Amino acid sequence: MPDSPLLDLHRVRIRHEGATRATPDGVTLSISAGEVVLLLGPSGCGKSTLALALDGLVPHAVPAELEGTVRVAGLDTRDHGVGVLSEHVAMVFQDPDAQVVTGTLLDEVAFGPENQLVPVDEVLARAERALKLVGLWERRDENPDRLSGGGRQRLTIACALAMAAPVLVLDEPTANLDPAGIDEVYAVLRELASERDHAIVLIEHNLDAAVGIVDRVVVLDADGHVTIDGPAQQVLRDRAEDLLALGVWLPVSTLAAMRLRDAGVTLDPLPITPAELAAALDAQPTLPAPLSGAGATQAGEPAIRVRGLSVRRGGRRGPVVVHDVDLDVVRGEFVAIVGTNGAGKTSLLQAIAGVIPPPVGAVDVLGLDPARADARTLSSRIGFVFQNPEHQFVAHSVFGELELGLRVHGVPEADRSEAALRLLRRFGLEDLREQHPFLLSGGQKRRLSVGTALIAGAPVLALDEPTFGQDREHAAELLDMLRELNDEGTTVLVITHDLQLVADYATRVVVMQDGRILGAGPTAEVLAGPLIDEAGLRHPPLARATRGLANHPDWHGVSRMSQLPPPAEAAA
Amino acid sequence: MRAPTASEAAPTGPVPTPARPPRPRPDPFAEQRPARGIRFLHALNPLAKLAGPLPFMIALVFTRGFAIPIAFIVLVMALLFVGARLTSRGALALVLGTPIAVLVLGVTFGVWVDPSRIDEASAAASVVVVEIGEWQFTLAAYLVGLATSLRLAALLLLSLIAGLTSTGPEFVRAMVQNLRVPYRIGYTALAALRFVPRFGHELEVIRAAHRVRGTDTRRGPIAAVRRGIGYSIPLLASAIRHAERVALAMDARAFGAHATRTERILSPWRVRDTAFVVAFWAVGAGVYAVALQLGVTS
Repeated sequence: MPDSPLLDLHRVRIRHEGATRATPDGVTLSISAGEVVLLLGPSGCGKSTLALALDGLVPHAVPAELEGTVRVAGLDTRDHGVGVLSEHVAMVFQDPDAQVVTGTLLDEVAFGPENQLVPVDEVLARAERALKLVGLWERRDENPDRLSGGGRQRLTIACALAMAAPVLVLDEPTANLDPAGIDEVYAVLRELASERDHAIVLIEHNLDAAVGIVDRVVVLDADGHVTIDGPAQQVLRDRAEDLLALGVWLPVSTLAAMRLRDAGVTLDPLPITPAELAAALDAQPTLPAPLSGAGATQAGEPAIRVRGLSVRRGGRRGPVVVHDVDLDVVRGEFVAIVGTNGAGKTSLLQAIAGVIPPPVGAVDVLGLDPARADARTLSSRIGFVFQNPEHQFVAHSVFGELELGLRVHGVPEADRSEAALRLLRRFGLEDLREQHPFLLSGGQKRRLSVGTALIAGAPVLALDEPTFGQDREHAAELLDMLRELNDEGTTVLVITHDLQLVADYATRVVVMQDGRILGAGPTAEVLAGPLIDEAGLRHPPLARATRGLANHPDWHGVSRMSQLPPPAEAAA
Repeated sequence: MRAPTASEAAPTGPVPTPARPPRPRPDPFAEQRPARGIRFLHALNPLAKLAGPLPFMIALVFTRGFAIPIAFIVLVMALLFVGARLTSRGALALVLGTPIAVLVLGVTFGVWVDPSRIDEASAAASVVVVEIGEWQFTLAAYLVGLATSLRLAALLLLSLIAGLTSTGPEFVRAMVQNLRVPYRIGYTALAALRFVPRFGHELEVIRAAHRVRGTDTRRGPIAAVRRGIGYSIPLLASAIRHAERVALAMDARAFGAHATRTERILSPWRVRDTAFVVAFWAVGAGVYAVALQLGVTS
């Protein structure tokens, strides 16, 4: 039905209450039945706001000013409430925890249709169909809390399907999930996309996952204007440079191919999946030799020594979540700890940093046993950064946050101000020194939380999933900062799910499973070896492309962008 | 698609915990198994289980003496033992815990009792149990305290008739369907119940995060209050954000769009509910009548 679009947007401008400019700004767009549309754009361009406007949450539930018109199945969203529009557009949001209302899976899926006054028989029929489609029908009597993150997000997709709306809008549905959860959700989305019963509007930063199912890409620029609107393959292949310039993250395979092109290896057309990249590389008669991965293991003074560490959670009778772990970290290393959910990564890192007390004698951080040291002494050796930076803020201003850290460590008042200002300049926060920490932007909060962990001069920094729920741009910004610190000599330990980030930044990888260390080694070796598969993880996209190359065996170990041949002029 | 295994059941939520406690905790949302045999309390409408005891809960507040509270305690215990599914631990706590709590609380209340309420002429007033300097704790004071704690125990047990045998969703359904409470209020309350464990967990994380900063190691109640205020800011910020997200998600699913909603599970008021309420009132009134007759209410 191309002549009667399901969604019809005309010059849509949305200004949030209190915001100075409108994002999105002047979006004209129509979406027909069966289309799968990927909405891209740099952070802050108004993608999520636009998603909220598609079912009337803007302007009805969110305080924002809507100009232009949004028509849903011909209905002007201004004149119809969210309840009416929900029969035409169903939503899935980022955080699965914030979408569960009831006590069982069945009740949850029935919740929407019940609100729509659908008769009981039809409610049950819809619930069964939706739960079966996402593979959760067998668990319908369970509490949603018992599902994994991926399972809960599949549940919210089932809830959206049960609304029987022809349009499905998903706003970053996998941003809070681990790789296994992302796979689960995309398995469901792939099936939905292939059925063509729904128009799907998808906002997603993880292009490597999304690229396989979308057939149209709409790109907003930083000002919230539509700059590109076209078939997915064509846009990603032909406008890759433009997308990159806009600050949109591309599939890793495309980025790799663009880098190779600079090095004189032209892959045409540009690959957008690891399989395409592998095929294009194999089709090349010759390839320049890749650079080696990071150098050999760093020798040097040990920073952290762990011997026979076991950790229980929840008191003396709680379950053992870390079993008999030995680990050595050398000064100046950038160590990534990876593993599936429940592998014990967080418990290990928290025990090392003394957040939960380890057994006496099991851990040594620069000559200090966290089991015996008080928080003050410990924080001058190792700084711990929690997932949510807000959790760590204790003062009423950015400056106060750092000043307080120095005061605790007995720095004389005269020196505090200067030291705090130095660190603020270092993290680009000097203009915000009087701001309340909670009023900073997400990236600024993250930088401040790293700053507070380092203010006491800790030479070791431990971070627990600092990239969780962030888009690739912010994740890369943070990791660039960590790399800078690492280059200056700080030892960095980080937990993350994003193996491409691990590949590109870490010097060493520790792979955990079921509370034990499965293995550890230099990043390139671990990513080329069998450990990743054994731990139930998935190889990062670049490694997936190079592992199976038939004609270029010397490329098998290539997993990080920096291993690709350098641009031609630099090589010459 | 692969089915999630048990090891994946750990949350991916924004809280850095490796796994939920493995012990199955009571689930306030779970539906009850159908009542079997004589466990009739589970099959009653939750409102009946509230309406039966309610008049006596009010009356007990104004009741003196031992006889009536004891009579209700015994009656309710018998009712719970017959009509409710109790775990062996729960039953033990009921039988042993109640008298111990009553006796101990009696001391606490007795210490605080207003001396003018004690009849100086009675025999018990001259029996001194403990004496510290000028201050005397007499048997009479203890008896007054004991009466108070008995009343409290009776009140608590009466509320347990509904509390032990109904689930949260059952209550909400009964309120909405039988009492005509707007469903928006009932189901919002139910959704809010899900916040409690989440915030408990988040508070734990915030405390750990603040401890790591090493900023406040002082001891004592004032420092504790100060720390508490420190925790409340990030907790509130995240609570408000979470509540906003939940509200948006509920709006998007047509919550509140219509004046009523489809009720998939009905909460009927049956003859047996009326019978339970009438019978409970009759027995309760009988207890009061007999007690008044015998003059044991003072």
